[in-house]
Amino acid sequence: MMKKNKSILLSIPYAIWMLVFTLIPLGVVAYYALTDPSTGEFTLQNIRDLGMFLPTLGISAAYAFVSALICLLLGYPMAYYIAHRTPVMQKILYMLVMLPMCMSFLLRTLAWVGLLESNGILNSLLGALHLKPITMIGTPGAVILGMVYNYLPYMILPLYAIIVKIDPRLIEAAEDLGCSGTQVFSKVILPLSMPGILSGITMVFVPAVSTFYISQKLGGTDTMLIGDIIERLFKSAGNPNLGAALSLVLMLVVFICTGVMNRFGGEEEGGVVV
Amino acid sequence: MSKELIRLQDLTMEFDGERILDGINLYINDHEFLTLLGPSGCGKTTTLRIIGGFLTPTSGDVLFDGQRTNEVPPYKRQVNTVFQRYALFPHLDVYDNIAFGLRVAKLSKAEIQERVTEMLAIVGLKGYEHRRIDALSGGQQQRVAIARALVNRPKVLLLDEPLAALDLRLRKDMQNELKRIQQTLGITFIYVTHDQEEALSMSDTVVVMDKGRIQQIGKPEDIYNEPRNAFVADFIGESNILDGVMLEDYKVRFFGRTFKCLDAGFQYNEPVDVVIRPEDIDFVPVEEGHLVGTVTSVTFKGLNYDIIVDFRGFKWLIQTTDHQPVGAKVGIRLNPEDIHVMKKSEYSGMFGDYSSYSAEYDELTEDADDEEE
Repeated sequence: MMKKNKSILLSIPYAIWMLVFTLIPLGVVAYYALTDPSTGEFTLQNIRDLGMFLPTLGISAAYAFVSALICLLLGYPMAYYIAHRTPVMQKILYMLVMLPMCMSFLLRTLAWVGLLESNGILNSLLGALHLKPITMIGTPGAVILGMVYNYLPYMILPLYAIIVKIDPRLIEAAEDLGCSGTQVFSKVILPLSMPGILSGITMVFVPAVSTFYISQKLGGTDTMLIGDIIERLFKSAGNPNLGAALSLVLMLVVFICTGVMNRFGGEEEGGVVV
Repeated sequence: MSKELIRLQDLTMEFDGERILDGINLYINDHEFLTLLGPSGCGKTTTLRIIGGFLTPTSGDVLFDGQRTNEVPPYKRQVNTVFQRYALFPHLDVYDNIAFGLRVAKLSKAEIQERVTEMLAIVGLKGYEHRRIDALSGGQQQRVAIARALVNRPKVLLLDEPLAALDLRLRKDMQNELKRIQQTLGITFIYVTHDQEEALSMSDTVVVMDKGRIQQIGKPEDIYNEPRNAFVADFIGESNILDGVMLEDYKVRFFGRTFKCLDAGFQYNEPVDVVIRPEDIDFVPVEEGHLVGTVTSVTFKGLNYDIIVDFRGFKWLIQTTDHQPVGAKVGIRLNPEDIHVMKKSEYSGMFGDYSSYSAEYDELTEDADDEEE
């Protein structure tokens, strides 16, 4: 064990980093959010004006939530499968899950544009089979697809980390006490995976709720998400004060969401990693 | 004893071509306390896991009440297990852990309440219902594990080294406790351990195993007094094992002398292993001794002295309350009942010589045995 005053020294580099790149910028955001764009005086007008974005905020949260749910349904079986392979196989599969994350996020999303476009690869394929083309790009489905594709690894990895630690003897104990396969899952494996599930949902939900690129490229003109609005307010609309206010509120929403989840998870074991 | 409950017939088990069990034949009676005893890797845990249904034997049969049960999954067996290191559910409290099997069996709430409460009293954990598992001591976790298995009223309780993780004092208490519970409830216990003392003090029947084979089955006294080969003699207690020749019934020759003994049924002049338990030997004045040797080391053990005596280059362990200084010449007499003759086996010559004896030896091997399979 290191002495307390010495271990404080170790935290100094990051403390400086956090001050310069997180706390001070956050203060700047708060300053902009609470001042008038023209006069620079303190005002709550920006916050009041946010009412018009409420529907968008709701839609963004809904998109992010649906994506997180789909990620969970796809990711859980995969994480479970990986956790029950041999150690070597686990490493290989883990790498494969991580592999898309090594590719640029922009490139991945653009690739989906190429696939889903009206005269894109998938529709050309349908045409070759003498089938009618389907409108895919510009639909909510495409946006959700883009989110699921991009954030799925963030679901699988925490799930895997939790599932792999479940003692196989607990499963044997459950079988010994009369559980069939499905009962073992619902009574032991699922409750013990809960911290991983909550952490996975958080890790998908948080980036998905504020994304803008995916919705711009894969969504239609009418699928405007909160991230898109923030981007527009800062750039084309030239109203950084309103943008800052919206960012601040979005951050609060995310905090509250994860806080609620943490409370859920607190009853089980440990907390949720954000 | 009562009727037969479980029978293992020609059981073999192989993992990756390695033979773990090699022709196990064993029957277990209803209400019996049977212990599988042996060193790490002897196959005792594998045998238990086959009875529990966690492993399917490579060949051979498991009969339960006369019915073949090789492929019956664990959840359909009338057997419950107390696992090594307990395997309690960390997401449930004490009450919910014990109630687990009853809830799966869909018993009424009232009955679950009644049976869990009764079980908590039996294992002495009243008032601990809503403790978290990680807030319990090792001994308390052990009791929860026993209660969780017994509350289902199984016909057979399997116990896989249940006391290995407890300290000595607690282990002794739990041994008595387990024996009491077994006698009160009248359930068949199949107990796996590497601790010979534990096996001898608790069991009705002891099955000594090594290298995937049963070396001897018998009552604790019989196993101790009449070991069948050098392995059993050495594993159960301390033994001096010597080369001898069985001249004729009741006459065995070793160390150039002929001794009377109680054993018979060997061929004339058959080479044999002779076992002499260290506590059966008494010192006599040199001129009265059958054998005369020199004391080479003395260790005080509390109850007795462990004295190593050199007889013509072969070192014997003698346990006695009679102190002798190092270097002393001592005589010993061997009475017919002190001498036990065994047939030669693959273990002959491997055990029973105390030339490299040291007092720490016991403790070292005990530690090494703690990590089982």
